[in-house]
Amino acid sequence: MFARKFQCTTTSLFRARNTFRTFGTTSPEEYCRDFVQKHDYEAYLIAQFWPRELRGGYFALKAFSTELAMIQDNISNATIGKMRMQFWKDAVKAIGTGNPPRHPIAQALYQASLQANLPTYHFKRIIDARDAELQVPVHLTVDSLTAHSESTSSSLLYLLLSLLSLPSSTLSHAASHLGAAQTFTTLIRALPFHAKNRRMVIPSEITAKHGVVQEDVFRSGPAVQGIDDAVYEFATLANDHLDTARNMLKEGVPQAAMPVFLAGVPVSSILKQLEKVNFDAFDSRVQIRDWKLPWMIWKGYYRRAF
Amino acid sequence: MSFARQALQVGLSSRIRLSPTLASAAIRSAVAQRRLLHSTRCAHASLPKDDTEHYTESLHSDMKLLHGRYQETPLYADLNSKEYVQKFKSGERALDKAVHLFFLTEIMRGMWIVIENFFRPPYTIMYPFEKGPLSPRFRGEHALRRYPSGEERCIACKLCEAICPAQAITIESEPRLDGSRRTTKYDIDMTKCIYCGFCQEACPVDAIVETQNQEFSTETREELLYNKEKLLANGDRAEAEIAANLHADHVYR
Repeated sequence: MFARKFQCTTTSLFRARNTFRTFGTTSPEEYCRDFVQKHDYEAYLIAQFWPRELRGGYFALKAFSTELAMIQDNISNATIGKMRMQFWKDAVKAIGTGNPPRHPIAQALYQASLQANLPTYHFKRIIDARDAELQVPVHLTVDSLTAHSESTSSSLLYLLLSLLSLPSSTLSHAASHLGAAQTFTTLIRALPFHAKNRRMVIPSEITAKHGVVQEDVFRSGPAVQGIDDAVYEFATLANDHLDTARNMLKEGVPQAAMPVFLAGVPVSSILKQLEKVNFDAFDSRVQIRDWKLPWMIWKGYYRRAF
Repeated sequence: MSFARQALQVGLSSRIRLSPTLASAAIRSAVAQRRLLHSTRCAHASLPKDDTEHYTESLHSDMKLLHGRYQETPLYADLNSKEYVQKFKSGERALDKAVHLFFLTEIMRGMWIVIENFFRPPYTIMYPFEKGPLSPRFRGEHALRRYPSGEERCIACKLCEAICPAQAITIESEPRLDGSRRTTKYDIDMTKCIYCGFCQEACPVDAIVETQNQEFSTETREELLYNKEKLLANGDRAEAEIAANLHADHVYR
């Protein structure tokens, strides 16, 4: 009786502690998990399908890429961004030598690097790409944007594959296409946000083809002539990359690699939603996360498809 | 009111009086001619002074000519000349106009505004007790944050010290026994600070932040030289608020 009561109080205490955890956490893994949950909820949903022992590493890598992606939105001039990028370059170097800085994400990355061989090259590539993006946030050609997405999203997918210790050229190739699709859809979804900040995320090559005046997009958004055509073309490119990745893994994704390729599920969900609203990227239905997404991810995991 | 209407009538009638095509074309050509460089006063500045009268007569306002208000009246004519005075001889006197305009309508309009505002809620707020809205990005007094475990966030990377344009931040650091680098001294001279928020932006661990607090006036200058203890205390006081204000956004790249 006594013992049971005691147990009850400890669980309730534990719960109480958990509810206080909203502002950050004690251990690096918990910090990264909260960070991903807050800023990249889709990645948080996918985390449930990662092996329990690697979940910490997954959260660390996702938090790392999210942190780098958000730097540009939190700074007011490029010099400050460059300083923060330098901090991360030094941090990656220090993780390699076994002396990570006291940043929760860096420490979680260090712990992940003890579990699996995470090539420093990919970290550097992500940081360099984000650094270059600070200077030139817009892309003139689709090729340069594809190269950028390869250095950011795809590099992260390569790192996740290394975390699972799955060195396979087919998987890496599929992951590179999936990364491009991921970047393109994220950009389409964020079009209203970037337009608000006077950035045109669709490559000028495409907007010029459809006669979109960028200034008009910043001022009047969805009402602009040709913007939906440009979005359609851009989304088609994303869909092509997604289909290429699917075709490469036609006979089913290996079950072990499935956690990585679940990233394709939210991408296809957003593309379908875009199709439903006739490629009006400013429609609020594109901005909202699909409520069926957890179910779709679960289904994708068991069908071994994305 | 009556004044405005009269003016309108004058304008209309004068437009009607002019035959639209011929007269306006003539006026335009005249205006164009007057705008030419060689016909301006400057061009003739070297001419003898006895020609002055001639030149004042040739000065006209182009707009008024266009509207046909004063067809050939010079702009700087002698104000006491007969035809100029003649125009105001008849009709309402200036005093009558003033009475109509100011004494009646103005007073009534003024009273209406008073009555309107009588029924509106007051614009003022009871300042120390009530406060106006602040943006979540408002940059006020500085604070150093901690992790919920109680450990301070600052890792002595000195990026804030490097970026500070006013050089208000001074940091000294040394490694602790557990191997982590921590600051032994973190001073901000609040009299130098220009509240640009660069320190907050540069911080990789979100340790130094500018809180919403703007009421930290002191009696002496020395009290504005903040040290680490003061900054950490600020952070502990405002933690919930800071956490809510940070990162209200999502990933967009």
